[in-house]
Amino acid sequence: MNGPIRRLAIGLFLGLAVLVGTVSWIQAIAADTYRSDPRNARQAIAQAGKERGLIVAADGTVLAESLPDEADSRQFMRVYPEGPVFAHTVGYTSSLVGDGGLEAAYVDELRSRRDLTFSDIVAAILGRDLRPRSIRLTLDADLQRAAFEALGDRSGAIVALDPSTGAVLAMVSRPSFDPASLEGAEAAENWQALLDDPDRPLADRATRELYPPGSTFKTVVAAAAVDVGVATSDTTFEDVRELPLPGSTATISNYGGSLCGDGTEVTLMRGFIRSCNTVFANLAMQVGAADLGIMAEALGFNRELEFPWDVAESNFPAEELEEDDAALAQSGLGERDVRATPLQMAMVAAAIANDGVVMQPYLVDEMFDADGDTVAETQPEELGRAMEPSTAETLEQMMERVVTEGTGTAATVPGVRVAGKTGTAQAGEGASYPWFVAYAPIESPAIALAVMFEPVPATGESDTGGRVAAPVAGELIAGWLENRR
Amino acid sequence: MTRTAEAVLVGVASALAAFGVALVEFAGGETIGAQVGLTFLVFVIAFGGIHMAIRAWAPDATPLLLPPVSLLAAIGFMEVYRLSPYRAGLQRWWILIAAAAACALLAVLSRNGLGILRRYRNLMLLTAVGLLLLPSLPSEGPLPIRGLAQNGSRLWVVFDLGFTELHFQPAEIAKILFVSFLAAYLADRQAALTGAHRRLGPIRIPEPRQLVPLVVVWAGSLLILIYQRDLGASLLLFLTFAALLYAATGAAGYLIAGGLLAVGGGVAAWTVFDHVQRRVTAWLDPFSDYADTGFQVAQGLFALGTGSLSGAGPGLGRPDLIPNAETDFIFAAVGEELGLAGSIAVLCCFALFLAAGFGIALRSRDRFRSLFAAGLTFVIGLQTFLIIGGVLRVLPLTGITLPFMSYGGSALVGNFLLLALLARASHEERS
Repeated sequence: MNGPIRRLAIGLFLGLAVLVGTVSWIQAIAADTYRSDPRNARQAIAQAGKERGLIVAADGTVLAESLPDEADSRQFMRVYPEGPVFAHTVGYTSSLVGDGGLEAAYVDELRSRRDLTFSDIVAAILGRDLRPRSIRLTLDADLQRAAFEALGDRSGAIVALDPSTGAVLAMVSRPSFDPASLEGAEAAENWQALLDDPDRPLADRATRELYPPGSTFKTVVAAAAVDVGVATSDTTFEDVRELPLPGSTATISNYGGSLCGDGTEVTLMRGFIRSCNTVFANLAMQVGAADLGIMAEALGFNRELEFPWDVAESNFPAEELEEDDAALAQSGLGERDVRATPLQMAMVAAAIANDGVVMQPYLVDEMFDADGDTVAETQPEELGRAMEPSTAETLEQMMERVVTEGTGTAATVPGVRVAGKTGTAQAGEGASYPWFVAYAPIESPAIALAVMFEPVPATGESDTGGRVAAPVAGELIAGWLENRR
Repeated sequence: MTRTAEAVLVGVASALAAFGVALVEFAGGETIGAQVGLTFLVFVIAFGGIHMAIRAWAPDATPLLLPPVSLLAAIGFMEVYRLSPYRAGLQRWWILIAAAAACALLAVLSRNGLGILRRYRNLMLLTAVGLLLLPSLPSEGPLPIRGLAQNGSRLWVVFDLGFTELHFQPAEIAKILFVSFLAAYLADRQAALTGAHRRLGPIRIPEPRQLVPLVVVWAGSLLILIYQRDLGASLLLFLTFAALLYAATGAAGYLIAGGLLAVGGGVAAWTVFDHVQRRVTAWLDPFSDYADTGFQVAQGLFALGTGSLSGAGPGLGRPDLIPNAETDFIFAAVGEELGLAGSIAVLCCFALFLAAGFGIALRSRDRFRSLFAAGLTFVIGLQTFLIIGGVLRVLPLTGITLPFMSYGGSALVGNFLLLALLARASHEERS
């Protein structure tokens, strides 16, 4: 009988050994992950009232600052002078719900090093600078404000990039919230109100939400077709009102059920500038899911993007489309299961502007110490080449004519050559997502952007990218180029 | 180790409890005062009392049992005090009551010995079953005893004493009676149980007929799970039963069959009950449903991670952010404030206690005493493994208390009685 009892004892001791191993793993090796998790309010509570560094826009506009608390001279208050305009990007710091945005991602850089943690004491002994550091963002305060105004009261997002570096020039999501409202006596009430708001003001629509890109995705399809040699801008397609889908009773028709050209033949160029669905459904099937997938992935789809926070992964389900031509045709129009963030579509426009090379998008330009000296600087980084320069050139010609004579004329900026593409993704119930992607000036692109609005029920046929999103893009491009002159 | 060393160690643990309370008060910016003295006094009376009772009525018992228990109680009390001084005040009374109960039990047993438990084994079983059924009493009604549903589970009984209500978790007492019955039953039926076995390779398979009691207890455990939704008690009773069957017969088939039935029952419960499903989801990935089901486990991990190697210090962490920190998650709270050092110290104390308990079982020449000591020790070990394993995500979370540490009167009384029984078993084996 002693044998079995001994084995039971050994079993329990092994169990305890497993617990010792696991708790050692959690408290020693994985400890930092859990401690710095933004949902772990402990750090935010410990940081509450402590000094943090500045967050400033590219031009030095203060976006977040710690001011001495008038009631208690040892305490600090975090203020956000620009309020909701930068809220999703700059983030917030709250002893109630933890940190968000860049305040969470850069908490270690921004915090004061006088916390008496072990590493702080070591740093103090070594004579390091213990004052909090500050970060300068790539965001342009004027452009950000203009983009915020341009979205108006409608839900949506705008992302603007510098095509040659990947620097984010503007990143706006509406509706927004006041980051300062998450700290103080009414924080809990305010947080609950934000959670309960059906318009979801806390959602970052620029990077953390996915939307059907609609016809703006035709840029990706055209790029794939031209790059693999399936088509040139002069390749012709049959001009039909309705395209029957293989293996299905469904059909694809053009916007308003119209023809694309004169009813006989239509070129890819004309199909692109008029955004003809029949042409692109055909083209997507000709290119095939595999090559479309390669182009989409080279531009950033289906990939985890490196960013200060977890960006939603844009999706092009290439493998599922291999065997299903009907689905592939619909996917070629940026519908069905194709999903993208506004950031992703801005990256597509930027890659075309940058002769086919995709740049890693970044938000933080540099970190500087309390004396204003630069401590670290971000170097632009290539993510890879998505298409040949000649392909980008062809796309550019087509996108310019979208703005001069196609669906995107509302984005015209006097005296500036603008390249663009409209999108009107279906949202059901007679509503749609108006999109516009663009860059300018064509000679030396300085800005690439994506504008996206969320659907408003029963707005019907008038709520198109060309009518709603294109004018916003034109206005922002004009303002940006004006300011830089 | 001698009885005197036991007294010294218990004194040290009492001083540590008082010192812990002093640190918590200091961290909270309060003046260090009456609470510290009161805590020291209560610990000295309670553990000094048990020590004296062992000297008087179980003088040959091993001195290795009491010190780890007193240290666990001290660490647990400090953390309960840190989380809720009000509850710690109640806990102090419960420590005194539990210690008094343990002393009384030692006194009673000094006359007839553990044999009396063996003689009245069927009464023990009936009482255990009766206790387990108590929470199923109606929650409303004229009776002075009522069941109480909390968080979707029925584990509590409320005694309405007229001037106040007393909440009690009968499973904490029932587990002792159950082990006592099993040890007696298995000791009496030894021949019948070990006689007939088939062999399948190296594994001895019990006759199908022998599996009947196993299946009956399994069904009983499932009933507890279904009607009272008490996953922890159900699993604890069933696995203890399977372990004791194995200890008595040496047939690994019981353990294997028991394990399979436990897993089978678990899977069945998982498909039927959404409260079990939610626990499994929270176990596999607490962050997938962070705001809801995963919240408690995630907060426990945050607490442990933030505590890191040396801990935040008593009163300086935020274990109050963990739901039910002073009961189910006391281990995470200790880990946050005392760090990995404290976590491992706690696990070492449990290991010491288990070593002492199994030592008694292995040295006992009497079958009943041996099985009894093994069963009692196994219950403590398994309960510790289940709840700490749940907190650390080694297992799905089963809502049971951490012996000697969690806040709660029934658990303290039950486990102190268990301690007294082990001491008695040790005394009888050595004298």
